Amino acid sequence: MRLLSTLLAAVLATVPLSAAATPGVSEREIVVGTISDLSGPTALLGVPVRDGMLMRFEEANAAGGVHGRSVRLAVEDAGYDPKRGILAARKLIQRDRAFAFIANLGTPVVMATMPMVLDAGRLHLFPFSPHEATYSPLHPLKFQVFAPYQEYMEAGTRHMVGRGGYARSCLLYQDDDYGLEVMKGVESGLAQLGKALVTKTSYKRGATDLSSQVARLRAADCDLVVLATVVRETVAAVSEARRIGWEVDMLVTASGYSAQTHELGGAAVEGLYGISVLPHPYAEGASPALAGWIERYRSRFGAAPNVWSVMGYTLADLFVRAAEAAGPTLTAERFAAALEALRSPPDFFGSPQYRFDPTDHLGNRHGRLAQIRNGRWELLTDYLE
Amino acid sequence: MSAPGALRRVAPWLLLLLAAGVWLGPDYALGQATMVATYAIAGLGVVIVVGQAGQVTFGQGALVALGAYAEAVLAGRGVPVILSLPAAVALGAAGGALASLPAWRLGGLYFGMSTLAFALLVEEALVRWEGLTRGAAGLATPALALAGVALDAPLAQALASLATLLCALFFCRRLLASRLGRAWRAVREDEAAAEACGIDAARAKTLAFAVGGALSGLAGALYAHWIGFISPEQFGLMFSFELLMLAFIGGARRLAGAAWGALVIVAIPQGIAVLRDLLPGDWARAAGLEAMLFGAVIVAVVLLRPGGIAGRR
Repeated sequence: MRLLSTLLAAVLATVPLSAAATPGVSEREIVVGTISDLSGPTALLGVPVRDGMLMRFEEANAAGGVHGRSVRLAVEDAGYDPKRGILAARKLIQRDRAFAFIANLGTPVVMATMPMVLDAGRLHLFPFSPHEATYSPLHPLKFQVFAPYQEYMEAGTRHMVGRGGYARSCLLYQDDDYGLEVMKGVESGLAQLGKALVTKTSYKRGATDLSSQVARLRAADCDLVVLATVVRETVAAVSEARRIGWEVDMLVTASGYSAQTHELGGAAVEGLYGISVLPHPYAEGASPALAGWIERYRSRFGAAPNVWSVMGYTLADLFVRAAEAAGPTLTAERFAAALEALRSPPDFFGSPQYRFDPTDHLGNRHGRLAQIRNGRWELLTDYLE
Repeated sequence: MSAPGALRRVAPWLLLLLAAGVWLGPDYALGQATMVATYAIAGLGVVIVVGQAGQVTFGQGALVALGAYAEAVLAGRGVPVILSLPAAVALGAAGGALASLPAWRLGGLYFGMSTLAFALLVEEALVRWEGLTRGAAGLATPALALAGVALDAPLAQALASLATLLCALFFCRRLLASRLGRAWRAVREDEAAAEACGIDAARAKTLAFAVGGALSGLAGALYAHWIGFISPEQFGLMFSFELLMLAFIGGARRLAGAAWGALVIVAIPQGIAVLRDLLPGDWARAAGLEAMLFGAVIVAVVLLRPGGIAGRR
């Protein structure tokens, strides 16, 4: 044990302690960490989010940086595994000395790493997890822009049912926290209209055959089916309904609002309603500003951007704006104060206006209604209050 | 074990810890050590069941889950660790014994499939029993507290898990040298011959699963504290296969195999992640690079050391 202590002391002595007052901030550089999923079950989301953030930071650096400092994104791949997430967080805190963590991905990873990040006095910004703990209870260092599904599914269902006059609303949901969260929102939205779910049926994550669930919903004579599904299950559910000749209206959550839904589903998903928290960047019919952005992204990463690329870009943009507003002496406290005062301006993506204040660190609670028409998502409403 | 022998065995581990500490920073290295030790304890359970008793198990992750949930539920209700930890170990052991019951009738891969079913049942129960486990939403676990002192510093966590691993290794070593250990090896080599010699094979197998389950439960309890948040998906089939892989890479027939296997499973991906940072430009961004390199390391280990790192060539 004495040998171990001696060795540990030697290790501690060899590690230089930074003289900088704020970890991750030097005269030339700001280090921002992200714990993403580049190889696991949500890599389809993690890669474009990372690329979107890289693009925005590279733009900021090309324009002279933030108060003369370039922003460096230190990326760690946890593969949706909390054990790897913990080690990645330790590495980013101690070795890379990240000033802030941005867009950490996956509820298990976020919940496992967030206490460590906050204990180290680092900012925990905009994680990809709809868990309420990411913004509540209020903590000076944690900020979120993704509301729990319950929040915008409540408004979305209320608007959809009120507008369409549906009498028999039903729910198909994934049998996990995501599905249960959506269920709460749908039930609450219906309750505000004096209605209740006629029936609900679930499937296990990863299921590919939803024929029995769709048959059950049809037997219940539903006239609106809310889908708490992800892309593949959305396509499976809608295709199955159309295959058996059931032309019921369906509304999917933001998890199904993806270009992949109509790319995979084709004609079968035509007319599907969805909730969008950020519009998909279609090249066709894009404004000049958006078209230029799409082209720059494509030439930088060799792939077309999707809604997650936009999200990554937007989150990095929020970071750059807040860091600019915090002034040349950058500290976590100044950054947090700048973010609390920030009002994101309208952008060419059609993003919601993100706003925080000292008593509320959730920057957006609203989604908008969209529908697949002619093989692409079209927005039907503004952000629903 | 003589003092020089002990030093010879411990020295490579200390050197690894030292090198990681200098290279990556002490907290990071200690975090790695914590995870390696915790996985090694779970790996010891697989070594007992697979390497010693010669049984096939695809559901060891479920026994880790039982320990993790027992600890998280009890610690969350303020039960002191002196009571919650034995409860987690006991639940793991009971789960192991239960999972072994089909071994009375089934053997080989058929029995292996029954352990797979057991793992699926446990995962399903953890999702469904929302009142206790909070279902798929997961359960937060407070820091491990010993005599009112929270072990939330990386050094304290590393020391706690390393000390537990050493105790577990000592216990297993004694067990393997006992009559029961010999019975396990006899059953592994030839079950019929073992029974002809008067060994109760069914009892020996059940005890192997109970001991393996207890070790898994212990590892699960520590895991819950170190991670701080557990959810059923963390203990899925992939996790069981990871533990099985751990035992085979390290060497399923030797206790030290659990530690070497844990080092490969836990630390190599992190090492690759660090090396990746040194790659130029877009190479560092290539998706799946770590998984690919990790796969290559596993294949190399299996080809060069078919008996596992700790096994004979």
